[in-house]
Amino acid sequence: MTDLLELLVSVGEAGCIYGLVALSYLLVLRPTGIINFASGEWVALGAFAGVTLIAEGKLPWIAGLPLAVLAVGLIGWLSERLTVRPLVEGGASVLSPVLALLGMLVVYREAASLIWGVDNMFVPMPFGFGRVEIGPFAGSSQSFFILSVTLTVFFLVWLLFEKTVWGKAFEAVALNRMAAALMGINLKLVAVLAFSGGAAIAGLAGLLVAPITSVHFLMGLPLAVKGFTALVIGGVGRVEGALLGGLLLALVEKLTLRYAPIPSGFAIGVPFVMLILFLMLRPDGLLRAKGGS
Amino acid sequence: MRAFAAWLGGTAILAALALTLDGYAADLFRKLLLVATLCVGFNFLFGIAGQLAISHIAFYGIGAYGVVVLAFQFGWPLPLAIIGSIVICGIVALLVAIPATRLEGFFLALATLAFAQLFSVVLLQGGEITGGPQGISGYAAPDYFGLSSGDGGYTLVIVAVFLMTLAILVRLDHSWFGRACRAIRDNPATAAAMGVDVFRTKVAAFTLTSTLAGVTGIAYAFTDNYLSPLVFGLEPMFLLLFMIVIGGAGRHAGAVIGAALLFLAPEVLEEWVGRHYMLGFGVLVVAAILFQPAGLMGLWDSARRRWGAR
Amino acid sequence: MKFTKQIMGLSVAAAMLSVVGIAGASAANIKIGIITDRVGNSAAWAKPIEQGLEMALKEINNSGGILGRKIELLYESDQSKPDVSATKARKLIDAGVVAILSISNSPSTQQAQTVTMKAKMPHMTPANSAGYLTTKLKNPYFFQMGPLGSTQIRTLMAYNKKNNFKRIGLVKDNSGLGTYLGRIFKQSLEKSGAKVVVEQTIEIGSTDAIPQMQKVRAAKPDAIYHSGIVVSAMSTFFKAYHQLGMKQPILGSFNLSVPRYLQVIPGMLEGVAFIDAFDPDKKQSRAFIASYKKAYGKTPFSLPAYGYDGLHVMAMAIKNAGSTDADKIRAAISAIKGYVGVLGAKGASVNFAANRAGFSTQGAVVRVIKNNAHGPVVHSGY
Repeated sequence: MTDLLELLVSVGEAGCIYGLVALSYLLVLRPTGIINFASGEWVALGAFAGVTLIAEGKLPWIAGLPLAVLAVGLIGWLSERLTVRPLVEGGASVLSPVLALLGMLVVYREAASLIWGVDNMFVPMPFGFGRVEIGPFAGSSQSFFILSVTLTVFFLVWLLFEKTVWGKAFEAVALNRMAAALMGINLKLVAVLAFSGGAAIAGLAGLLVAPITSVHFLMGLPLAVKGFTALVIGGVGRVEGALLGGLLLALVEKLTLRYAPIPSGFAIGVPFVMLILFLMLRPDGLLRAKGGS
Repeated sequence: MRAFAAWLGGTAILAALALTLDGYAADLFRKLLLVATLCVGFNFLFGIAGQLAISHIAFYGIGAYGVVVLAFQFGWPLPLAIIGSIVICGIVALLVAIPATRLEGFFLALATLAFAQLFSVVLLQGGEITGGPQGISGYAAPDYFGLSSGDGGYTLVIVAVFLMTLAILVRLDHSWFGRACRAIRDNPATAAAMGVDVFRTKVAAFTLTSTLAGVTGIAYAFTDNYLSPLVFGLEPMFLLLFMIVIGGAGRHAGAVIGAALLFLAPEVLEEWVGRHYMLGFGVLVVAAILFQPAGLMGLWDSARRRWGAR
Repeated sequence: MKFTKQIMGLSVAAAMLSVVGIAGASAANIKIGIITDRVGNSAAWAKPIEQGLEMALKEINNSGGILGRKIELLYESDQSKPDVSATKARKLIDAGVVAILSISNSPSTQQAQTVTMKAKMPHMTPANSAGYLTTKLKNPYFFQMGPLGSTQIRTLMAYNKKNNFKRIGLVKDNSGLGTYLGRIFKQSLEKSGAKVVVEQTIEIGSTDAIPQMQKVRAAKPDAIYHSGIVVSAMSTFFKAYHQLGMKQPILGSFNLSVPRYLQVIPGMLEGVAFIDAFDPDKKQSRAFIASYKKAYGKTPFSLPAYGYDGLHVMAMAIKNAGSTDADKIRAAISAIKGYVGVLGAKGASVNFAANRAGFSTQGAVVRVIKNNAHGPVVHSGY
C-alpha cells in the first residue's frame, strides 16, 4: 500500500510534466493546425534558462521561474514570426511550417549545445531535496511543487478558454479559420499567442523537471515523444484532455514498470504501444472537442 | 530513346566511379549511394504518395538485421537469407501499412514514429539474437564472383541496388500507380471519385517503398560488416526528410541531389567551421523551406525557364 | 589556433591557402589520427580525453618528438555514429596517419575497426571498456586500454568480499554502454555465487525512477550494483534511492569517476563506492595532476588521463618500432609489457603481450565518495 501511494505521487509528477508538454502541442495545434516537433527543444530551453538564471544567476525561484518562462515564450514568439508566419502568409501547405519547425529543432538544440556546452548542468530545487509526506502520500518536495504549479497552470488556461473572450476567439479559429477571420478575429495575433504560450508552457515543464533530471542539450526529444503521446491519449481538442492524457500515460507506464512481469528494458516500449493503440482504436483521444472536430 | 541514353550514361558513370574510387572517397561514395537510395524511396512515399511515415529508417534496419540474423545467427545460406529478409520486410510493412495508412497526416507520422521507436527497443533488448547494444560484428558475406572482396566490387552491388530502386520507382511514377498516388496526395476524395482505390494504393505505396528500404538495408549490412542499433535511430530519419525538402519533394532527381548535398555538407563544412556546422545545417533547412519551398529542383526549373531551354 | 582556422574558413581562397600552408609545414610530422565526438552523445566524455591527448602531445613534442620528428594529431568527429566513424577512419588513413586512436563510443570504435582491420592500420582506444571490441573481431591491429567490464565488477566484488553480499540488485540505464556493462556485471556476479535478485533499467529521459527503485527495495538486496552511465538517469536513480529511504550500499562502474555526477547530484552520492583507473596518490599521477593544473587551472580526474596515457603508449610504440611502418608499430604495441602510466593501481602495468586489452586485471581501484568528492583509493585488484 505504501508503495502504491508513493507510486501515485510519481505518476502525478510525471503525468504533470507530460501534460504540460501535451498542452504546449495543443496550444499550437488547435488554432494553427501545426504539430510542432520542436516542443521538446522548448522544454530543454526552459531547463537551460533555469541553469542561467537560477543556478548561475543565483536568482530565487520565485523570480527565476517567471523570467525563464518569459524567455522561452519570447523564443516561441520569434519562431512564429520568423519561420511560421511567412509560410502561412505565402499560402504554403500546413506541412511546410511543420518541416520548418523540425529544422528549428536542430537550430535550438545545436545553439543550446554551443551556449551551454555538452555536459549535464545542475539546477537546485526550490525547496531543497527531501521526502515530504502529505497525508498518506509521500514524494519529494519537487514532486509536490510540480503538482501544484501544473494544476494551477492548467486551471488558469482552462479558465482562459472557458471564461474569456480570448479563449472563445481561440476556439473559433480552431473550428473555422475563415469564419473567425470574417468575424474580425485577428488570426495573426492568435497565432502569436499560440506559439508564445505553447513555448512558455513547454519551457515551464523543462524548468520544473530540471532539478530532478539535470539539464542536457539532448533532453528534449524523449519528453517531446511522451508529450505527444499524452496529447493523442487525451485528445487534441480540450485543455483538460492534455492533463488527463499525461496522467493516464504516466499511470500505465509506472504501473507496468512496477507490477508487470516483464523486464524493465522492454517496459520502456509501453508509451509507444499506447500511442499506437490509441491512434488505431480511438484516434480522437479520450476527450473530444466541443462542437465537433 | 533519350531516357535510355541517360540511364545508360548514368550507369556507366556510377560504375566507373565504383571501380576507380578507393579509400575515403569510395567509402563516402558507398554510403552516399545508400542514403540516396533511401531518399529516392522515401521521396516516393512522402513526396509523391504524400505519406509522412517516420518508419523508413526502421525498415532499413529490419532489412539489415534480418539478413545478418538469418544468415549468421541462424546459419541460412546467404541467398536464402536475403530473400527471407526481403519477405520479412514486406510482411512487416504490410502489417504496419494496413492500420497506419488509415490515419490522416501527422497521425500517420506519430504512429510510424512509435513503431520505429519500438524497433529500437527490440534491437537494444534483443539479447544474443540482435547483439543488443554491441550490435553484430565479425561476419562477412561469402565472396561471390569477387563482389565482396576489395572496394570496387561491393560498390558495384550498391550501385546496382540504387539503380534498381530508382528504375522501379521512376517507372511506377510514370504509370497509373504514380498518378493514383499523386491524386491521393493532392486530394483523396477527388482520387476516390476518379475511381482510385485509395486504401489499397496507400498500402501498396507504403509496403513497396518500405520493402525497398529493407533491400537497401541488406546492402548496408555488408558495407562495413557491422550492425549497431545506433545507426537506425530517429536522427537519420529527420535527415532523410531534410534531404527531400531541400532537394525538392516529389522529384526523383531532387531526392538524389538533396541526399548528396546534405550527406557531403558536414564532411566539407566541418573543416571550416568545426562543430558549428550542425547549427548552420538547421538554418539551411529552415531557409530552404522559407525561400525555396520547391527545393533545389524548383531553382533548376526556374533557371531553365529563364534561359529558355525547352 | 582553432579560432584562426575558423576565421580563415570564411573564404574559400583563404581556406585553401591555409590547407596548403599546413600541408607544407607538416611534411615531416608523424600524423596520428583521433576519432572523437564533438557534437553527439559522447561529446561530454570525449572532450576531457582530448585535453589529455593535447597534454601528452606537448610533452612529447617539447622533448624533441619521436624518431626525430614531431607528432601531429588529426582530429575527426564521428558524432557518435558508427557508420560515420568508419568513414572517418578511411579519411584519416588517406590523410597519411600512421595510427588511429578512437575516443568516441564503443559501437563507433567497433565499426571503425572494420576499416583498420582491412587496411592493417594500428588502432587503439584509450578509454573504451567494452570487452567485445577485442573479442568479436580478430583484428591484430586493434588494442584497447580501458578497464574491461569484467575487471571492474571483479574488483568491486573483491572489495566487498568481507561483506559477503549474496543478494544483489542490479540497476542500469538503456544506453548502449550501460546495458552492456549491466550484462557483464550480471554474468560475473552470478558466476561468483551471488544472486541477482532484481534487475532494473532506468530510461533516458524519464522524469523519475520511483517504480524501478520500489522494485529494488521490495526485493531486499544486500547491495546495489549500478552499471549506468547517463547522467540524467543517474540523477533520477539517486533521488529515488534517497526518497524511498533506502540504505543499501551502492557500488558503481568507472563512469562514476567523472566528477560531473558530483556537480549535478550534489550531496547524494555519499558513501558510494566506484571503480576508477586513476589513483591520485601514485607518483605518475602526482606529476600528471601538477601539469594538468598548470594547463587547465583545475584538478584532473580519470578521463584526461586516458587520453594522456593513450598517446604516450602509442608514441612509445612508434619509437620502439623505429619506424612508422604499420606492421612494426603493431608488433611494438604487442610487445609492450610492464608499462606504467598515470592510470592503473600502484604496482599495476599495461601489458599487451598476453591480450590486446592491455589494462591490467589488477589495475582497477575502488574509491569512495566522501564530502561530495572522490576519496582516496581504498582497494585495488582482485
